Amino acid sequence: MRRRDVLAGIGSVGVIGGAGALAIRGPPSFDDGTEETEPTADPLVIETVDAPGSEARDVRIPASDRATFLDFFGTWCGPCKEQMPALVEANDRIGDEVRFISVTNEAVGRSVTREELADWWRKYDGNWLLGIDPTAELSAEYSIGGVPYAVAIDSSGRVQWSEAGRKSADELVAGIERALETGETDGGDG
Amino acid sequence: MDRRTYLGTVGIAGLSSGAGCLGEALRGDTGNPDTVLGPPEQDLSEATHPSYGEEFPAISLPDPLTGETISTDQFEGDRTVLMTLFYTMCPDGVCPQLILRLRRAQAVAAEEGYGDDAAFLAMTFDPERDGEDELRTFADQQGVNLDAGNWHFLRPTEYETGKEIVSEDLGLPFKKEFDNEYEELEYTFPHYPYIFLVNEGGFVERTYPRGSTMEISRLVDDFETVVTG
Repeated sequence: MRRRDVLAGIGSVGVIGGAGALAIRGPPSFDDGTEETEPTADPLVIETVDAPGSEARDVRIPASDRATFLDFFGTWCGPCKEQMPALVEANDRIGDEVRFISVTNEAVGRSVTREELADWWRKYDGNWLLGIDPTAELSAEYSIGGVPYAVAIDSSGRVQWSEAGRKSADELVAGIERALETGETDGGDG
Repeated sequence: MDRRTYLGTVGIAGLSSGAGCLGEALRGDTGNPDTVLGPPEQDLSEATHPSYGEEFPAISLPDPLTGETISTDQFEGDRTVLMTLFYTMCPDGVCPQLILRLRRAQAVAAEEGYGDDAAFLAMTFDPERDGEDELRTFADQQGVNLDAGNWHFLRPTEYETGKEIVSEDLGLPFKKEFDNEYEELEYTFPHYPYIFLVNEGGFVERTYPRGSTMEISRLVDDFETVVTG
């Protein structure tokens, strides 16, 4: 069951403080005997910032015309630094096919300045969209309990994969491919 | 803040074992005359903080935005309370998630017409940095509805007062941490993301230890059940 997968993912990293409510995408539906389908995420507009691969504008999450990959991180978070090389590789391999974006919900403008955020980004070789979520709306939409946290959403807005903790490039690409595959076969019924 | 460390210090029974809490306890018929909700799935009665069925401590603090002194017991017989603790410089995104949950409940209260039976209290433990202007700016940025008249920021005039309230009245581990990893911040407050739900009688209906990540619908449902119960 998906919920168990999600919780197991948390257990394996063990740092996601208070991640009890991570179980998130709602209970699976067993009522009609079909496979559970992921609920469609509500689109939100996220501000992106000036940084390598990113510019200051508004971006819709999830994208309406293609799959979306979301990486939640924080500049304060050690594992998020360690996550960056795999994200760089995943972006190189598959970034063109999706809206690939990293988002932090830390207090940009308070605990960290935009310049520091961009410096962090540069230091760890980020080169794709960099968004901020100061009101935690996006974080709440995807019920993240901690960072890093990855979410892959297909082109019709369904979450096809999400996982807490650090992932390899292969795991990231495999997760994103799930969203790509489903989007192709499943996109028309929304 | 390093969650590993600070969760490791928690002595609260069952805090980490509740990660699989999926259901809700039965509501209503509980044998507890002081509460609307039934006992929570996770029994926190041994914890140092107020928990289900206990009287919530009277905490009296200024609301710098309205100029009033707000006391948690002034709402008895009048309003159901959601209370959380935060500070605007909170670096890791936890505090906005707590505030978001209170303001979602506030929005639903307005939509459903029970806003006047509700109070939303957000206590800062960082009076040095969270002055009136900071709190007002923060409220605007976060989308808090200050005009509804049911939202109060509670701000101790001194750090020590806040510390005493958090550690003694609320029984939550708390410290000011100067040795942190944030360049911008001289100090942080590693703290637990608690939300308290207190009924009109002044009794705790729910203590949510993982308030920042709990399902919003669950909080809103619990709150509505208590307000209208």
